[in-house]
Amino acid sequence: MTSAQPFLQVLASGLAMGLIYALIAVGLSLIFGLMDVVNFAHGEFLMLAMYATFGLFFETALDPIVLAPLVVAIMFVLGISVYAGVVRYAMRAKTNPGMVQIFATFGLAILIQGLAQYFFTPDYRSIPNTWLGGKTLNLGGVFLPWPQIYGGAISLATFLGLYLLISRTDFGKALEATREDQGAVALVGIDRNRIFALGWGLGAALVGLAGAVLAIFYYIHPNVGGTFALVAYVTVALGGFGSIFGALVAGIIVGVVEALTTLILPPALKSVGIFTLYLGVLFIRPSGLLGRL
Amino acid sequence: MLSVETVTTAYGGLIALSDASINVAQGEIVAVVGSNGAGKSTLLKTIAGLEKPRTGEITFDGQRIDPLSAHETTALGLAYVPENRRLFPRLSVEDNLRLGSYMHRKKADREAPLGRVFALFPKLKERLSQRAETLSGGEQQMLAIGRALMTRPRLLMLDEPSQGIMPKLVDEIFQAVLAIRDSGVTVLIVEQRLAETLDIAERAYVLQTGRVILSGSASNIRANPEIQKAYLGI
Repeated sequence: MTSAQPFLQVLASGLAMGLIYALIAVGLSLIFGLMDVVNFAHGEFLMLAMYATFGLFFETALDPIVLAPLVVAIMFVLGISVYAGVVRYAMRAKTNPGMVQIFATFGLAILIQGLAQYFFTPDYRSIPNTWLGGKTLNLGGVFLPWPQIYGGAISLATFLGLYLLISRTDFGKALEATREDQGAVALVGIDRNRIFALGWGLGAALVGLAGAVLAIFYYIHPNVGGTFALVAYVTVALGGFGSIFGALVAGIIVGVVEALTTLILPPALKSVGIFTLYLGVLFIRPSGLLGRL
Repeated sequence: MLSVETVTTAYGGLIALSDASINVAQGEIVAVVGSNGAGKSTLLKTIAGLEKPRTGEITFDGQRIDPLSAHETTALGLAYVPENRRLFPRLSVEDNLRLGSYMHRKKADREAPLGRVFALFPKLKERLSQRAETLSGGEQQMLAIGRALMTRPRLLMLDEPSQGIMPKLVDEIFQAVLAIRDSGVTVLIVEQRLAETLDIAERAYVLQTGRVILSGSASNIRANPEIQKAYLGI
């Protein structure tokens, strides 16, 4: 044992958790960048994805790793439905559409939470006997739980996939163009409503993937979304609202800072570091690290 | 090809276009001229599907298009280059152009118009990787027209293509409009530069406070004493 050991340990777990935070936040940032709408039900999407993983596990007895694609697909459909059924109408508001959107997604969050309380009960659930649950990797004295390693790897792979999607595909270009000028895409024959709907589908699918990861090692309950949503909002603001790769950088920073905070402050105050950092960034660079305001 | 019949368009209670009727035949360059606020842009926006007419009917190749959205009229072969160009400023010149052919599935349909755009505006080829926002006003106009041509339109609508452009490039743009027409694309152009526009157009409509007050061949319009006095300063 060297004296650097605790530091390395904290850094490694912070890094893994940070990558998972990035995965949780990126969908929020993507939707905001696309259409300037903050989805206040983002945490509830995460919670639903965790319950979906839990429910599917109960029905099929398959491991959450195997179930992840199915959860992602379900959340993709949910995202499109929320756009088509709620957000699209909120955007049409004649007066103060920004406020209407906030209340629409905020109201949706309360509705989803209430339904979850009613149907799933407030009990804490967890998925027993998963492939990775409880297993730890020993890296020369630094211990990392396998679920976190898996989550970090999934997150990196997802960001790589997102990069390829945006830079190499027609849909990616259409997404970029819609972010630039949602009124102008019609001039090239693109239906912005279709892009918005797919954007919501993609945003929900991304947080759905995060939910399928978290369900392996985190308790599942109707209020679980709130904890992570708060971190996600900080991550998105830190990285720059709308910036996809800002979410990756900021997620890692948030994870590491949170972990380092536990070295100096009691665990109950582990969020103090993140929010202090966040305030600092707001004062120095209000548009976030990679933001463009 | 295009027929606008007694179309009225209003913004709230403000009537911008009143009972306007115009026709465009295949292969023509048709100009819509008039002073600021005459309703010229509103006319193009209404045809493009960006504004919904209150009354009247618009048909394109025999098909009713006034109930359609803007992306649907584009898909039918009606390209619109708005006054403020509406490029994607932070995307590259190439991305802006390629987005124009986004809706075409076949590779040939995507590549062929690109060659034509480069032949028309060789400057764009030199700036492919540059962000659209770094181009000069004239180059941005070329890019906007190029992007519109990438949709493979049969009718191209241009709103004030000469606005905000160095005089030297204005001529280049007008020459390009002639070349576009010669390549088989019909052109409907809105302009404040009356003299130059009437030089390239076959026919013209004169709008005043939302109404068509005069129409006819470009030479007749130019010869009209009222027009000479009001617009040409002769």
